[in-house]
Amino acid sequence: MALFPAMAMAQGFQVNLHGQKQIGMGHTGTGLLQDGASVLFNPGAVAMLPQNYLQAGISPLFFKSAFQSTGSNVTYNNTNQVATPFTAYAVWGPTGSKWKIGLGVYTPFGGLTNWGNTWVGKYSLESLNLKAIYFQPTLSYKLSNTVSIGAGFVYNYGSVDLTEALPLSSSSGQDGQAELKGSGHGLGYNLGVFIKPSNEVSLGLTYRSQVDTKIENGDALFTVPASLASSFPSPNTFSSSIPLPSTTSLGLGYMPDNKWTIGFDMEFVHWSVYKSLDFTYGKTTSSLQNTSLARNYQDAYDVRLGAEYKTSPKIAVRFGGGYATTAVQDGYVTPEAPDADRVYGTLGLGTKLAKNLDLDLSFEYEHVMSRTQTEIQTQLSGTFKTNVYIPGISLSYHW
Amino acid sequence: MKNLKNYIYILAAAVFVTACKPNFNSNPAPGKGSLDLTRYISVGNSLTAGYADGGLYLNGQLNSYPSIIAQQMTSVNSSLTFNQPLFASSQANGSGYLKLTGFDASGNPVTSTVTSNLAYVGQATVPGFGTVNLMAKYTGNLDNYGVPGIKLLHLTSTLYPNVNPYFDRMLTTTSPNNTTTYLSLITSKSFTFFTNWLGNNDALGYATGGGGGYTGADVLTDPTTFGQLYTLLITTLTANGAKGACATIPDVTTIPYFTTVTYPLVLAGVQKAVPSVQALYINAATNTTDATGATETYAPRAATANDLFVLTFPTSLLGSTTAGVGTYPYGLDPRNPIESKYVLDANEQTLVKNAVNSYNTTIKTIAASKGLAVFDAFTFLTNIKASGYVINGLNLNSNYISGGIFSLDGVHLTPRGYSIVANQFITAINSTYGSSIPLANVSAYNGVIFP
Repeated sequence: MALFPAMAMAQGFQVNLHGQKQIGMGHTGTGLLQDGASVLFNPGAVAMLPQNYLQAGISPLFFKSAFQSTGSNVTYNNTNQVATPFTAYAVWGPTGSKWKIGLGVYTPFGGLTNWGNTWVGKYSLESLNLKAIYFQPTLSYKLSNTVSIGAGFVYNYGSVDLTEALPLSSSSGQDGQAELKGSGHGLGYNLGVFIKPSNEVSLGLTYRSQVDTKIENGDALFTVPASLASSFPSPNTFSSSIPLPSTTSLGLGYMPDNKWTIGFDMEFVHWSVYKSLDFTYGKTTSSLQNTSLARNYQDAYDVRLGAEYKTSPKIAVRFGGGYATTAVQDGYVTPEAPDADRVYGTLGLGTKLAKNLDLDLSFEYEHVMSRTQTEIQTQLSGTFKTNVYIPGISLSYHW
Repeated sequence: MKNLKNYIYILAAAVFVTACKPNFNSNPAPGKGSLDLTRYISVGNSLTAGYADGGLYLNGQLNSYPSIIAQQMTSVNSSLTFNQPLFASSQANGSGYLKLTGFDASGNPVTSTVTSNLAYVGQATVPGFGTVNLMAKYTGNLDNYGVPGIKLLHLTSTLYPNVNPYFDRMLTTTSPNNTTTYLSLITSKSFTFFTNWLGNNDALGYATGGGGGYTGADVLTDPTTFGQLYTLLITTLTANGAKGACATIPDVTTIPYFTTVTYPLVLAGVQKAVPSVQALYINAATNTTDATGATETYAPRAATANDLFVLTFPTSLLGSTTAGVGTYPYGLDPRNPIESKYVLDANEQTLVKNAVNSYNTTIKTIAASKGLAVFDAFTFLTNIKASGYVINGLNLNSNYISGGIFSLDGVHLTPRGYSIVANQFITAINSTYGSSIPLANVSAYNGVIFP
């Protein structure tokens, strides 16, 4: 008997919050020269940046999801928890040189959701806290005044903390509990090329590699009625591996005058590498078997458009938006990340606090399309609705 | 910097205007369709009463499927009340029940019987029958008429209310002076909707007693009699325009009471101790000529995997020279076969299947003639036995204890099992009457309780 059922980490856990200026412009930036965030958006553009940068930002993410079972009139909301994607970039190069070096620390994947221990899907998931922090040293080189290239090396520190109920009632009526908690790391790289044929037009192409993140010897903790304790050895360990997919971005920039900057990005996310989620336990029993859960993700795309307008030398207003297709196929939608196609709009405001210091604010509203699904493996059947609200702030020092 | 302030206000406003939870307009919105839910009554046996773990006790009553249905119905009629003959809290353990106390070294479950805080209050002597136990009376309003043990056959009996303490406790008179038949009890006050799941015991009583072949064995209700009584029941229930839902009778071989202690398991257990044993012997029906199973002849023969042992078969008897008729090792020698009460043999199963099929044809035909909803429990439980039941991340099946649906007696259901039954009734009701009674949350009801 496999009493330990579906566990999953899902899509929707790609996080595109990589710089306040870029967020304000609908997440465009691959073909633009805005600031140190080019380390992520396009390492090839780093050598073209006009200055050196030291900057950091944070984008508290309010994820509001609700679920209603098929045939029921009860709505379950996930509890309010605030995820904190952040960015930090440094870019430096000698004045007038052809090269620059950079370092980026950012969170391109993550998920934080808590449905509680009384909701209808508690045997699929109660809570998930998934983090991936990328550290990326970068070298960029200007081949000519119009073309530059760059490459980065990625070290990922990933962590997961997942809880779910086990259908094993104790005499007090409590369910059993399972918690999987662990961390691991992975390696990857990225490459970019940036072309600026004129002052009005620029374009960029970036490839960020897949980062296979392995978790070894994570803690697997089970709380079950005493008579079943031998079936669920605790503490136990688990190992798992998550392929964080590669992304390919193409970006265009258009600067018709010195007040307007218009950006357009397209991104391809190679999610189809995510076929299954496997957990291997240190100790298995007839009740606790290793699991392999089909995920069968599909590749995803998004398109983004944004603009910046300088109302004065000191103030820039930004706006943009985009549309992203879901990586999750019908039949595989899970409460970890109740994913669907999504549309979003962004606003941004930049101001110079001092000659070398920028303060940037951003706000994003993301609407995940309502999706009515029966998940094949868990038969969790119902409708997910999700809205995401993301304010953000960053400080940039440049010289 | 004046502009900047304005921009900040706009940005801040955007945050507050949009920062709210997603909303649902229930689709479809709860509605009663063509139903009148002024008063809902439930008619049936132990399953309807909320019997579980070999007994009727307060917690089982509180999780009976009719009470779950009624609770869901309040979404479409908030003034609906549903009263059950609940045991008082000082007598909450009712008849007593089985409790899981752990597992032995080989992983087999160990149970004990709860004997405190029972509802038994005395005994009565029923002329021509004998002594019966009496339970504390229930005197409040009554909408759940589930009587553990009752058969459709007892529908118009005036003796039966005197011999069944669960029935007696619903009446104002006391055994042996009861004269209220079940049919007159359930129709004594007007109602607008009913569920009816009578008929299980007309087959199950015979089956759980290992069929016939011994003194005191139960018999199957004659299918013709079943048809007449079912017609009378439904005609009476619908006489004043009430609508309702009926359920069919499950295949008894889908329940863990018959599928847990299997012949290969028992044989392997014996061979572990005595490797030379080749077969076990049972006292089996030799034919299937009497539809009620009352007049079959029995003879010893070697058992096969097609013979079903009851969950309560005491395997410790095997090989004993004092058990059964004695002298020869019990079950290992055709001269001292395993008694018929412990085995539903292949021929007896045929008799039960024939009877159940006939009962179900009757139920479906009569229900259809009155336009009633039907929950086809036969098909539903057969499918669960074949392929399990997965819902909300729960992998349920018909296995004993681990399956999550059946309680410790292997026949009746856990609260989780009853919630699934309630949802099946609701689904049938909604599709027949155009109503949208919301389904219950199966995840909120527990399975077997583990110590």
